[in-house]
Amino acid sequence: MGQIEWAMWANEQALASGLILITGGIVATAGRFTQWYFGAYSIAAGVLICLLEYPRGKRKKGSTMERCGQKYLTAMVKLFGPLTRNYYVRAVLHFLLSVPAGFLLATILGTVCLVIASVIYLLAAIRGEQWTPIEPKPKERPQVGGTIKQPPTNPPPRPPVEVRKKPSVGEEEAGTAGGPQVNPIPVTDEVV
Amino acid sequence: MLEEEEEEEVLVEEEEEEEEEEEDSNNKSLDLRSVSEHIGWERRTLQSFVTTAGNECKCPLVTDASFNCGKGDYHLEVGLCLSRASASVLNLNCSLILLPMCRTLLAYLRGSQKVPSRRTRRLLDKSKTFHITCGITICIFSGVHVAAHLMNALNFSVNYSEDFPELNAARYQNEDPRKLLFTTVPGLTGVCMVVVLFLMVTASTYAIRVSNYDIFWYTHNLFFVFYVLLLLHVSGGLLKYQTNLDTHPPGCISLNRAQSQAASTPDYIAEHFHGSLPEGFSKLEDRNQKTFVKICLEEPKFQAHFPQTWIWICGPLCLYCAERLYRCIRSNKPVTIISVIHHPSDVMELRMVKENFKARPGQCPTETKATFGVHFKVVGDWTERFRDLLLPPSGQDSEILPFIQSRNYPKLYIDGPFGSPFEESLNYEVSLCVAGGIGVTPFASILNTLLDDWKPYKLRRLYFIWVCRDIRSFQWFADLLCMLHNKFWQENRPDYVNIQLYLSQTDGIQKIIGENYPTLNCRLFIGRPRWKLLFDEIAKCNRGKTVGVFCCGPSSISKTLHNISNRSNSYGTRFEYNKESFS
Repeated sequence: MGQIEWAMWANEQALASGLILITGGIVATAGRFTQWYFGAYSIAAGVLICLLEYPRGKRKKGSTMERCGQKYLTAMVKLFGPLTRNYYVRAVLHFLLSVPAGFLLATILGTVCLVIASVIYLLAAIRGEQWTPIEPKPKERPQVGGTIKQPPTNPPPRPPVEVRKKPSVGEEEAGTAGGPQVNPIPVTDEVV
Repeated sequence: MLEEEEEEEVLVEEEEEEEEEEEDSNNKSLDLRSVSEHIGWERRTLQSFVTTAGNECKCPLVTDASFNCGKGDYHLEVGLCLSRASASVLNLNCSLILLPMCRTLLAYLRGSQKVPSRRTRRLLDKSKTFHITCGITICIFSGVHVAAHLMNALNFSVNYSEDFPELNAARYQNEDPRKLLFTTVPGLTGVCMVVVLFLMVTASTYAIRVSNYDIFWYTHNLFFVFYVLLLLHVSGGLLKYQTNLDTHPPGCISLNRAQSQAASTPDYIAEHFHGSLPEGFSKLEDRNQKTFVKICLEEPKFQAHFPQTWIWICGPLCLYCAERLYRCIRSNKPVTIISVIHHPSDVMELRMVKENFKARPGQCPTETKATFGVHFKVVGDWTERFRDLLLPPSGQDSEILPFIQSRNYPKLYIDGPFGSPFEESLNYEVSLCVAGGIGVTPFASILNTLLDDWKPYKLRRLYFIWVCRDIRSFQWFADLLCMLHNKFWQENRPDYVNIQLYLSQTDGIQKIIGENYPTLNCRLFIGRPRWKLLFDEIAKCNRGKTVGVFCCGPSSISKTLHNISNRSNSYGTRFEYNKESFS
């Protein structure tokens, strides 16, 4: 249990609680329960929580899976700076949002789940975790021709003039092997 | 993670629904119209509408024609029937969800001769997916169940019936429904179950499992609490049925009270009441149809239903508990660590021995050797601590530390072996095994088995593809591969094993595995494999045969392989895809 990042679990819980609040709120307002305005509140609170919790924070170690389409909400959530970065603020916010929904039967489960999420966020905040946005990696353009520098200025090295000239006739006769084969190493005929 | 396989059937169908009746109070006129409607996946065959003039609300009622529901005056709401319907689905799924987790049983079934068909064995591969499907179904229908019961709680308190206090869950008129929720046994256990389910489900998402497996593991063990609460939840005796239907049939008129219904259910009564009728019944001619008006002989009596959930749950729960007990006992003896080897790219090999250890190929390296080994890659905090316990930080540079150095190894317990789909690769005539990185370990045991003796198995040709990012990773099993290759060359079967190694990342300088692995060096390709070409080549060389495809690696590779395996090719070769998922 050494390096568990509680914030990630709290984030999943808060997102699920938001959805439960929305569902409970819809049941309450559609069924026209008494005090149905709590149901309307719970829909609004649920939507706010879902928007806040949808972008997943970055893990300390390793790669984080993004939720699909989260980069737009990341930009919005990033704007609030320390209010959204700090998990103490989130814990308190979730706790306060959950209280009014507890008065209505249809949304009471949303309250319970959100309170649990708020407790886990508090635990994460005590352990010093923070919400860091997942930045999109800048696209590395393939460096085509990056290593191609200036063309060489000097001609390639050539051997000196004397060697380049063709050898004289005398040297030629001695060099080539015109006669019979001369073995550099003495060869014996091995006949058994 | 859900993958649709043609053999998999998602069992979300409901079973028959209970009927419940609740007598209505007086001064309500009933006008029952029965409308037949076939609701596809629920298999309901009848839907009838009840209007109660007193309450002036129209409430649809879902019933099952096999139970003679809808006979008489009663106060039914949609909430009651929705909650009962969803409870039936929950019963089924809560009992089925435990079965794929009996891993020892599944391993036994996989290996035994009682399951000869390959198709059935491949169904066992899908056990984790089935478990997840059942879990999601439980969540959805719990939501429906809770919503329906919330409406019921409200209706119980608002429509409290003075005449039949036994039937009502509320204790007095307009009792606060929240009090109903928290002070009754079903209500309290229901709320606790939702909380437990919430904790379990939020910790079971893919992202959490991949990043913090501990949270998933510890919260998932709360399932036991969930089941205990479920068994208590249904013991409240909330649902009742009428015991004296013959003396007080539905739709009968009580002579004490005022006329409760003018026209009762002509269709129902005509259908269900044939033959001779007991005394006290008189015929009335009404609308050119014969209707029968019954007179009540005595007051209705009610009794609580036997909790059906207990019957559903107890079987699988007992089976699962027995299996856990067996696994606990089996893994009680610690293993003896023989050697610890540190491989490049953060992989550790642990060789150990355990008494009474039996394993099949594909589960662990070979049956004949007494020792078995485990390879693991150091990725997270648990594996890091494990490595530090096995090797001192200073000694991590050296390759092998023999046991005689009197190291203080931790006490190690292992649970298993469990079956895996890779056992099946020896039962195909031609197999294609694709490994990605550390995913090669299940195939290592297959290769070890072939090294011992290949003749008893059906396998005659093995294509072994291993894709790695780092060239030093190939050294984990380089010796094994070379030995296998040499063995088959000696036995004059050079085409038995076809090895292809791929280095997917090309920015390293080192391009060969090592000086002493010439066979592997010439089988090393730089870049990712081109699967379509590979499959075409295998198809061409094995025309008309069935090739088993096994993949253990990242999901992108396995998806690609799955797609290509399902496509037809012009050589008549069939590719059967087998996969095990690990996350």
